[in-house]
Order: sequence, then C-alpha cells, then structure tokens
Amino acid sequence: MTVTEQGLLERDKDTMTLNMGPQHPSTHGVFRVVLEMDGEVVLSAVPEIGYLHTGIEKSSENKRYVHVIPMTDRLDYLNPPGNNLAFCLTTEKLLQVEIPGRAQYIRVIMCELTRIASHLLWLGTHALDIGAMTVFLYAWREREMILDLNEMISGVRMMTSFIRIGGVAKDATPEWIQGTRKFIDYFPEKIDEYESLLTKNPIWMDRTQEVGVFSKEQALDWSFSGPCLRASGVDFDFRKKRPYSGYENFRFEVPVGKNGDIYDRYRCRIQEMRESREIIKQALDALPDDGYKIPDNKISLPPRNTLKTSMEALIHHFKLVSEGIKVPAGETYVPTEGPRGEVGFYIVSDGSNVPYRVKLRAPSFMASPGMCHMMTGHFIADVVGIIGSVDIVMGEVDR
Amino acid sequence: MTAEEIVEKIKSSMGEDVQSAEVNLGDAVVHLAPESLPKVAEFLKSDPDLAFDYLSDIRGVDYLNMEREPRFEAVYELHSMEKNQSVRIRVGIGEENPSVPTVTHLWSSAVYPEREIFDMFGINIEGLEDKRRLIMPETWEGHPLRKDYPLVWEDIAFTHNRDFKKELVKESPAKR
Repeated sequence: MTVTEQGLLERDKDTMTLNMGPQHPSTHGVFRVVLEMDGEVVLSAVPEIGYLHTGIEKSSENKRYVHVIPMTDRLDYLNPPGNNLAFCLTTEKLLQVEIPGRAQYIRVIMCELTRIASHLLWLGTHALDIGAMTVFLYAWREREMILDLNEMISGVRMMTSFIRIGGVAKDATPEWIQGTRKFIDYFPEKIDEYESLLTKNPIWMDRTQEVGVFSKEQALDWSFSGPCLRASGVDFDFRKKRPYSGYENFRFEVPVGKNGDIYDRYRCRIQEMRESREIIKQALDALPDDGYKIPDNKISLPPRNTLKTSMEALIHHFKLVSEGIKVPAGETYVPTEGPRGEVGFYIVSDGSNVPYRVKLRAPSFMASPGMCHMMTGHFIADVVGIIGSVDIVMGEVDR
Repeated sequence: MTAEEIVEKIKSSMGEDVQSAEVNLGDAVVHLAPESLPKVAEFLKSDPDLAFDYLSDIRGVDYLNMEREPRFEAVYELHSMEKNQSVRIRVGIGEENPSVPTVTHLWSSAVYPEREIFDMFGINIEGLEDKRRLIMPETWEGHPLRKDYPLVWEDIAFTHNRDFKKELVKESPAKR
C-alpha cells in the first residue's frame, strides 16, 4: 500500500497481505501466519514461529536428568505426563532397566486421562473458533474433573512431573483410584452429549466437511502424526504398533478416518476419548501390586523410613540427591503416542549425570508447515478451522 | 524386517556409500558422509522392502566436548508406516564450513527441522530455498545450541573486569 498526495491509501497490487497472529485468539497461542489474499481466498500462507522460544533444550544440557523432567512438562503443556513418560522411557532405555507393572499402569492411566483432557481442551476451543460456544463450557467442566484428579495424585493440576525415572513419584492412593473410576463411569454419556451438539449439526458439518482435506500421501509427506494422520486413512498408532509401558495388555481400537478433512479429525479425536476411557478402565481393573518404582537405589530414592536405620540407604540417598543418576554413554530415541501424535526425546549421553543433548520430536512442530500448506486455496474463514483441527501447541513448536 | 535385516540390506545395497551400520539398543543406525545422503535417502524411500515414507525428525548434535571427529552430526529418524519399522541415519559433518544436502525433495516436512539446524547449529543446508532463521530472531548472532555458545551471555555496557568473556565457565556447575 502507498499513501497518495491526498493522504489516501492506494493498493499497489491485486492481492492483499494479511497478518494473523501472534496475538490472535484462534491461533492457539503465539502462532503467526502471513496470508497472501486474493479477495477471500488464501493464495499462500507463510508461518512464523519462535515467539515462545524458551531454550529448554539448551537448558537441559546443563541440568541433571531428574531436573529435566519438570521442564518437559512445559513443552507440550497440555500433555505433561506424556512428555514425562517419553523422557523417562528414553532414559530408562539407556539405563537398561525394567519398570514394575504397577508403575507402568499408573503411568498409562495418567497419560490417558491427560489425553482426554487435551482432547477436551481441543474440542472446546476448536468448536469455539468455528462458532459453537456451548461445547466449550461442557468440555471445560469435564476437563476440570481430570485436573482435580491430577491434583489428588500429584498435588499439581497441570504440570504434574509425576512420572520419574524408574517409576512414578508416589503410589496411587485408593481415593485417586476411586475418583478415577467415578470419572470414567460418568464420562461416556458426556461424550454423547458433545456429539449430540456437533456431529449431526448442519452448520458444523458445513464448516468442517471437505474443508482442509489432506490425502494419505500428503499427510505422510508433511509428517502429520497422531489423529491428523489417522484421519487421512493411515492406520498407525505407536501404542498399538510398538507398544511401550504395558500398552500391549489393553484391548482398544484405533479410530481411522477416510477423507482427511476437519470433520474426520474431529471424529477421530472423539472416538479416541472413548478408547482412552476403555484403556483406563482396563488398567484400573488389572492394576498390579508390585511397587510403584524400581527397587534399584542407584536410580530411585530408598524409602524415607529406612534412612534412620540403614547406612546403605543413607549413602544411596545422599549420592542420588547430590550427584544424580549416571546414565551410560550412548544415544537413543523412543517414540510414544501423545494426544497430538508422535512424541519422543532423542537423548545423547556422555556417561555423566547431565544429558549431553536432548531433542524433542514435537508433533505440532513437524505438522505446522503442512498445516499452512493445507490453507492455500481455502477461504479465510476456514483458516481458523484448519489451525484448530491440527491442534498445535506452541510450547512444543518453539521449545 | 528386524533391525538386523534392515542394517544388512542397507549395507549390501549401498556398499561404499555407507560408512558403517549397526544395531544400537535395538534400533538400526546408519553412518554416512554428507555427500552420500541424497543417494541413500532416495534408496531408503523408494526400496519396496524398506519403504521409509515418513520423516519423523532431524536433529543436530554438536560433539565438541566429546572430542570426536567430525564435530557435528545431523541425525535423521525415518519410519515406514506400512512396514512398521524405523532407521536412524547419522550424518557426520566437519567443523569447516559445515553443510549437508537437503532432503526436502523426498519429504516436504524436512523444511522446518532443516531450517532449525541451520538456526541452532549453523549447519548450512545445500539446496534449501528458505535460508532464514526459524526460531531465533533474524538479527541474532551465533548459533545457540553449539557447545561453545555459553548458556548465559549478557553483553554489558561497562565493566572493570578484564576480558571476562574468556573466563566464562565452560562446564556446567551441575556436572561433577
């Protein structure tokens, strides 16, 4: 645009450049995209990221393994136990240790509860973006219950840091188990309630069907993962294909879509919430009783009451608190299935108590260029729908 | 295919282009020189038995403190969705004018991690159109994830200290 002599604005090209974000309520954080518009149609969308860069990867190289865990919560802040789990699994693979069944099951229950909470947040905000306000209020109501359960077991509502190297921080209390049971009995009819508001809603269908379509090939090419990949017809779930943390013991379906549009991503996530509920139910029913952490005192702290009677326990406690866990030299990666897709930490260890290099494989980070590619040719009103349907979290995009 | 079979297959098909290949903690790992990356990557994607159609991630590593040659490494994690198998390609990159060829023509999603490697490690990506920094601001100096880039560095306007930058702690105080 140029200013004429009369002080009027004059367009110097036929297209218009429109800046969206970083302070836009529908970009789910500080995502910024520069849109080249021809009237209402998006010609190109150029993403700009980095507004939430916290340097967590650099900080991790200067912290002990145990101290990295609370920072992983802040990466994908809607999936803290999932990030803890990914980090701990990778460290445990380097340490070559087996985790007791009870610890594995508590981890699974926490991760699946958080998956439901994350999908509820996604459902509420995504529907709000497109214009269905009521769902937001209902979704928040149930999410609050999950956060209360988190507080019950770990003392913190969101950034739980509950999963530790060698197990979990504390044993599951009977109150928490009871509370979780109550929640999973209460929850299924609430999913039906959300569906009754959206699934057959003509406005919702009109806004989401055949919008933001990504074919199977495109989804693979642009490294989509999790529900976005499955909505495009790729049947791939790490919980099923490469079970970790005891997922091989549970029966559950992996919902797969057909068309790869916003509506299919919505259906996949709704179905995933039902399956997560199934997994939690099975894990609670079959919760083993073999300890919530490994007995190896070189990795997990000895019980507090033994410190006054056992010299060895005191030494282990002192060494573990003052020095931390020494992880054998090597490099490895364990992929896990988070609410947004493949989450995993690539850890390089030099044999000391501090990781040499930590790199998060963030599903939102890998999907964001593909998401902007998806926007081209759509109306501007569909841009918020596409951003919402891919479900990006800026904490893990910028790290 | 198991990890051993993948390693054997890559070794026998690519011959000279692969420096070494091994199974590390159950994962197939291949070591390459930067020049052979496009050829090997093309083979890994197109071979019907391997069919690595999915790029999971690309990471940079700076091995300065480990005193290893070459200094940098770009690590590519590939999955095959159809065959449910994975491979890790480790490309060693020398300290002088570090550069690695792009793989965006094979996997479009490589554009972000490649730009991130340039931003964070200063590894030049040959053939990548978009050479801007990804995460750090355009005007930023240095490459933050290099090991010789200190964790805390503030330029101060005035100081009585002599040449304080040289005395910066090289090793983290947490490490003993």
